Amino acid sequence: MKKMLSVLLAVMMLISLLAVPALADDQVLTVVTWDATTTPYLIAQKEAFEASHPGVKIEYVDVASQDYAVKATTMLEGGDTSDVFMIKEIDNLINWQAQGFAAPLADYIAKGYDLSGFVGTEVNYAVDGVQYAIPFRSDFWVLFYNKDLFDAAGVDLPTNDMTWGQYAELAKKLTDKEKDVYGTHYHTWLSAVVNWAVCGTGYTLADKKYDNLLYYYTLYQDLEDSGACMSYADLKASGLHYSAAFANGNIAMLPMGYWYVSTLIGYNKDGTCNFNWGITAVPHADDVAAGSSFGNLTGAMINAKSENKDLAWEYISWLGGPEGAKATASVGARPAWVSEDVAEAMASVDGFPADANSKAALIPSSVAMEWPVAEKVSDIKTIVNEEHSMIMAREVTPEEGIGEMNERVAELFE
Amino acid sequence: MSQAEVKRVRYKMGKLERKNTLVAYSFLAPNFIGFAIFTLVPVICAIALSLFEWNGGDISKLKFVGLDNYATIFATKKVAEKGLGYFFNRADLGIALKNTVFYTVITVPLTIICALALALLLNKIKGAVFFRTVFFFPYVSSMVAICVCWSFMLMKDGPVNQLIMALGINFNKGWTADSTMAIWSIILVSVWRNMGYYMVLYLAALQGIPRELMEAATVDGASKWQQFLHVTLPQLKPTTFFVSVMMVISCFKIYDVVAIMTDGGPGRATKMLVTYIYDEAFIKVRYGQASAISMVLLVIVLAVTIIQFSSEKKFSND
Repeated sequence: MKKMLSVLLAVMMLISLLAVPALADDQVLTVVTWDATTTPYLIAQKEAFEASHPGVKIEYVDVASQDYAVKATTMLEGGDTSDVFMIKEIDNLINWQAQGFAAPLADYIAKGYDLSGFVGTEVNYAVDGVQYAIPFRSDFWVLFYNKDLFDAAGVDLPTNDMTWGQYAELAKKLTDKEKDVYGTHYHTWLSAVVNWAVCGTGYTLADKKYDNLLYYYTLYQDLEDSGACMSYADLKASGLHYSAAFANGNIAMLPMGYWYVSTLIGYNKDGTCNFNWGITAVPHADDVAAGSSFGNLTGAMINAKSENKDLAWEYISWLGGPEGAKATASVGARPAWVSEDVAEAMASVDGFPADANSKAALIPSSVAMEWPVAEKVSDIKTIVNEEHSMIMAREVTPEEGIGEMNERVAELFE
Repeated sequence: MSQAEVKRVRYKMGKLERKNTLVAYSFLAPNFIGFAIFTLVPVICAIALSLFEWNGGDISKLKFVGLDNYATIFATKKVAEKGLGYFFNRADLGIALKNTVFYTVITVPLTIICALALALLLNKIKGAVFFRTVFFFPYVSSMVAICVCWSFMLMKDGPVNQLIMALGINFNKGWTADSTMAIWSIILVSVWRNMGYYMVLYLAALQGIPRELMEAATVDGASKWQQFLHVTLPQLKPTTFFVSVMMVISCFKIYDVVAIMTDGGPGRATKMLVTYIYDEAFIKVRYGQASAISMVLLVIVLAVTIIQFSSEKKFSND
């Protein structure tokens, strides 16, 4: 009896050994990213890459968007061997490179990789002249508007050339307390309220002087006081996300990143949102050219501990290049690669608003970086965000808050 | 017995003793090994790391900086220039310390009073079991769910503010957006959550008070209040001691309520020691400084616990 059992076990083991080679057909590339199941461009990119690279499967490691930087950093510090890490903010990469987690790409690029399509944005991912990541999305901020609400109020649609003053007037005109309609909506982020100071001016948020932000804080508080937008305190307490707020259909305008386009297209398709919308360029300061905006890069790097570096390079070079850009553009997101084909693909996305203004808004006149790469930028961000929350919660006046920002940031560099 | 026989017996006894000792150690081993790996070794590493600068990457990038990290977090240069006021009003560590101590000093007595009051009320009434379950329920609920619900309740125009306005007090600001009230929202949620747990401890202690003592007090003519003051409370001293030690330690370590409800804000009004450590370690990736702050936290909690234990003699029932 015992002998039969051991013979049976040996035979089973042999069979399992034979089965293994058959399963090892597909190569798997693990990619760490955020909101993998709900982000349209991630789904489109995976399908397109797997279609053009038979025998390779992309496996997304999904991390919650809010905690992405912290979680991904902790994974890398723990020795994670996932092949590719996507980069949410530029200083993610700067930190990871300093910690030794990013694989340098110089050798791969030297074998013949065309960086010209990135129109210089790729330098944000280079440290001491060595490239460490490839960008695949370049976002900038635009103004979303609810066409149906404008038509119902009989007000002219926003244009690609509005000043902030004109925008504020428009917001107040469209606010209707009885119908619970808000003229505009500000997400709680610093970027939604005051990053406009960097558009087309050469000013950056690491310049250690924050008086340029006064105009925007005053503008915001005037709008909040007149009821044209929801209050910061309520938004903070309820955690209402801008994507849900705007899709609800009672907000006329929303300054937000271009990435929201692909979300809205998805909402239109699945019925979450059932109104007509469009985009225009964000309003500009009086002395700044129309179409000036700020933005951010999204890219991907190869993990220094990856065991599939060559395949990972294949993936990230494809992702950022013209082929990946088409996949990204096909769902309404804005790729980092700039070319006629890509512009065509972006404008012809099913669900993208068909009016001329929205099409024109696709080409900003200038895009400044949301935050620059600078010394102690992490500490500066913390200080500016802390004072921002004090100003927005009306705990201090904008002048006092900005004074604190100036003082505390100056102390960092003493 | 002969010498040889005595020796043999002693050897066998020694062997038995050694065997017993070995068995004892082998029972202790799993717990101690777990403690050593997951607590003792990391604490020793943190003590060492507080003297280094490290960005979390390669171990070879560790840079010895001596007491520089402590000098930075205590802002020694600025304090020497501008005095202690600078430390408590502008330095991150000073503000975090101030907030954490304030939170602890308010929460501990408040929770003890509420827990004791509930225990006394629910000791011998009808439907006691039902009410005890109701009050214990917050303790077993998800912290995230509790914090989200309370965030809504404490909004401007929310039910809590409406109640306050109805009582005639003119206050209608979102609690978590007000730098004075934000810490009270944390205190409120913590007390509400924890009083059920400590109520159960007090209930057990109350039921352990010998009936003869209460009867003797009644016979001697003591009123209910005098009975409570002079019989019940002294009998509860060991429990109160235990509860206060546990509460002080857990209050100094507060993190989850703050992270979910206010995220340290507005500004730095609810910046606590542990949220400060988290920011330094995981957002700014400065493990040396974060370890230095952890050491400060360790020393404070250790000091407070030692003080409490040394005054325990007053609390024992002998």
